[in-house]
This record gives sequence, structure tokens and C-alpha cells, in this order.
Amino acid sequence: MELTSDNTGGAVIVKAVGRVDGANARDFHEGLEASIGADGESMVLDFEGLSYISSAGLRVVLLVAKTLQQKNAKLAVCSLSDSIREVFEISGFDKIVPVYADTGEAVSGLGL
Amino acid sequence: MSGIQPPYKILVVDDEPDLQPLVQQRMRRYVRSGQYQFVFAQNGVEALERLREDDEIVIVLSDINMPKMDGLALLDQIPKVNPNIRSVIISAYGDMKNIRTAMNRGAFDFVTKPVDFDDLKLTIDRTLQQLLEWRDALGARDRLVALQNELSVASQMQQSILPKSFPQDPSYEVFASMKPARSVGGDFFDVMRLEGGVLGLAVADVSDKGVPAALFMMSSRTLLKGAAIGLGTPGEVLKEVNDLLCEDNETAMFVTLIYAVYDPSTRKLTFANGGHNTPVVIDSDGNATRLPLTGGVALGLVPGMEYAQSSITLSPGDNVILYTDGVTEAMNENEEEFGMERLESLFSESRPSEARAVNDFIFDAVMEFAGDAAQSDDITCMTLRAGGRDH
Repeated sequence: MELTSDNTGGAVIVKAVGRVDGANARDFHEGLEASIGADGESMVLDFEGLSYISSAGLRVVLLVAKTLQQKNAKLAVCSLSDSIREVFEISGFDKIVPVYADTGEAVSGLGL
Repeated sequence: MSGIQPPYKILVVDDEPDLQPLVQQRMRRYVRSGQYQFVFAQNGVEALERLREDDEIVIVLSDINMPKMDGLALLDQIPKVNPNIRSVIISAYGDMKNIRTAMNRGAFDFVTKPVDFDDLKLTIDRTLQQLLEWRDALGARDRLVALQNELSVASQMQQSILPKSFPQDPSYEVFASMKPARSVGGDFFDVMRLEGGVLGLAVADVSDKGVPAALFMMSSRTLLKGAAIGLGTPGEVLKEVNDLLCEDNETAMFVTLIYAVYDPSTRKLTFANGGHNTPVVIDSDGNATRLPLTGGVALGLVPGMEYAQSSITLSPGDNVILYTDGVTEAMNENEEEFGMERLESLFSESRPSEARAVNDFIFDAVMEFAGDAAQSDDITCMTLRAGGRDH
């Protein structure tokens, strides 16, 4: 799993590539926490290159959303593959974290 | 960590009277600084007595040729007194035969006469370092063994709360089992006999695995049982459990849970799904259909959520399969997933018979598919068969 972040567009865009499972969920968490920007700066997780996310990974997404909330910022995810979209839909995570088709939509969806 | 601290006590064994004052003089700096402490013995017999009296001795520095018991015989005896002592042999220069014998008998190192005290200091320090690392490793091993014992007790506790016997009824059958990926897991299931001959069925999967998941699993299971017995409908039960789990859930652990109530007299199954995998119904011809999603969110995340429920009426011979993603996401060595489609087509050729056979068949198929690939997630599967085994 690799993370790259870019905060040129008013929000932090984090691209996650590979798999997130119980074995690297902690790295995933630390990586995302390190990418959190200034107060009020929202984050978009671009999952286009993500092949798998386990429940441990979903938990991290939620923890990051909570951290951002405390900083008056929001979290969105975008570019989900069919299988990850299914994971979000079945678990109901799509009702907690907004899901967008791509980073452009996510940034405008967050009202940035 | 190693349980031993300086000054490190070293027993010097030699029958020649000049070694003792020499050691005391040449090593006095290290004795004064509190690094070493020396005790002395004249021969092997005396040395063993010292070792028996004093369990703080960590190194034995011994000559070979001595009256009563020589250094080689002493080497054989030391481990019987204390297996964690390291021995260093002092031998005549070039006496390879005795050095070899000493090393074969477990001496850690040797120095030669006349003793070069700088070399002796290096040898003692090297021996001490190895000894400290060895004792650290022993301590770590002991702690690991203790932890493993605790885990195995936790695992037994966890397995013991899962139902092992299932209701015997002519009008339905139910069977379930769970195979944890580690000693403790985050999956659980429950089968509860409720008022009026109605059955409560649950299959759940806690986020993540290991000890934190196991703790969360235990509280989820207890809350579910309380809510299931006290309340009526699956939707109400999930709402109650969710609200209770959301209280003080700083760690953002969550549980996906399907809870269903089955009335054998009407064969009506009412269920609510809290973010869990969709159950599959396999009819008596082996055809599979998925139960509709009820749109619920995993439990423990958002307080105040309402949980919708849905109902179907089963036909005799229908098998409702409740499972966790350990079934559908089981991977083989090529990192392919078992998947929903494989589960749904399992009974296209071999017709389902009784509940236990159906459940075992699914487990066997998952195990066969996974082959030698390591099991990465808990696997849980429950089968409810409507109409009993005659259908």
C-alpha cells in the first residue's frame, strides 16, 4: 500500500494504491494522519488504485473522518472500484462518508 | 529485562595461589567501578559448593588441572547446578586437546596462560554480553508463553459462548460454526429460542481481528442477546444494540451484524442488516437468491440510526445461509477470492440436504478453494433449513 498526498486544490487529495488490510491498517492510519492539513482543510481519499480494503481499513477511514471533524474539516472518498464500492454500500459506509465519482466531483461536492 | 545487573559476579577457580591476588590487582578498577565482583575457589568441588550457595554467580572462569575435581569435570557439573551460567576455561598455551574437550563440554570461550588481562577483560565482556542477550531472550520467551496461555484461555472463552448444540425441531433445522483466523477472533453467531417458539439468529463480524476485536465482539454479543430477548423486531434490536455500542466508542470499532427472527409456524423470516453481507437462500433444487439489502449501517458508528427490516416466507427445503466475509473473501494462493458467485453456484450439482451437511459443504468448499493459502479472516457460516430434514 502506498499513499501520496497533494494539497494544491484547496483540499488534501490522498491517493492510496494497493491493498489495505489488518496487516497494514496502522501504516494506513499513520500515513493519513500525517497528511491532514491545517484546520478547516478537508481531505479526499482517491481510491482509484486501491484493490482491496478490509474492515480494519474502513475503521481507519472513520477515525480520520472523526479527526477531520474536530478540525472543522470533512472527508470524502472517490474513484472506488466496483468491489470497494460494494464494500462501502454493504457496510453502510457510503451513508457516513460521502462517495464521489472522481476527485473533481469530490472537491466540488465538499463545497470547495 | 535480563534480571541480572552489575556488579556481575564471577567465580575464579584455580589451585595455584598466585592467580587470586593477580586477578584482584589487575581487575581492581572494574571491581571498584562496580562492574565486576570476584569470588574464588581452589578446585571443582569447592566451585560447585560456591555455585550452590550463591545464585548470583553468572560466569565461571576455571583452570583445567586441579586436584579433587578438574576443570573438565566441573564443566559437566555446572549446568546441573545452573544451566544459565557461562564458563570460560584457562588452559596452557597450545593445549588444543583440552581446549577442544572443554568447548565440547559447553565452555563458552577460553584464555591461555600466562593470562593476558586485557584479553581476559574482553573475553569476560563478550561472555557477559552473550549471557545478557540469552537471558533477555529467555525472558521474552517466558512472557510470550504466558501471553500465549492467556490467549488460549481467551480463545476457549470465546468458543464457549458460541452455541454448540442447536434446537432440535421437526419443522426446521439450524447449524453454524466459526473458524477463527487467529487464536481469538471478531466473528460470532448466536441462535436464541425466543418466546412463542420463535427463533433468533445472528451472524456478526467485528472490524479488525485479534484481542481488540475479541473484546468488542464479547460486548456486542451480550448486548445483542439482551436486546433480542427484551425486544421484538430485528429492526428494533439493531437500533438498540447500535445506540449502546456507540456510547463511548472512541476507538471507532464497529460490527456488521445480521439479525433474523424465524417463525417456524409460518416459515416467515424477518431480518435487519447492519452493514453485513447479504444472506443467500438456496432452494431445494440448489438455486440461489440473495436476500434484499435493508440498507443498514454497521453498528457502533452513528448513534440514533434506524434499521429497516424485510421479510420473506421460506418454502420447505429452503436453506438460508448467513455468513461473514471470511467465506466470500477467502483467498487462494493466486489471491483470487472465493466470491459470491462461487457460493451461489455451490449447490447447482449437489442438492442441499440437512442443515449441518449444507454448512459443512460450504466450509469444505472454502477450505478446498483456499488450499495452502493462509487464512486471513475468521470464517463463520450458519444455515437455517426450513421444513426440517424431510424436505
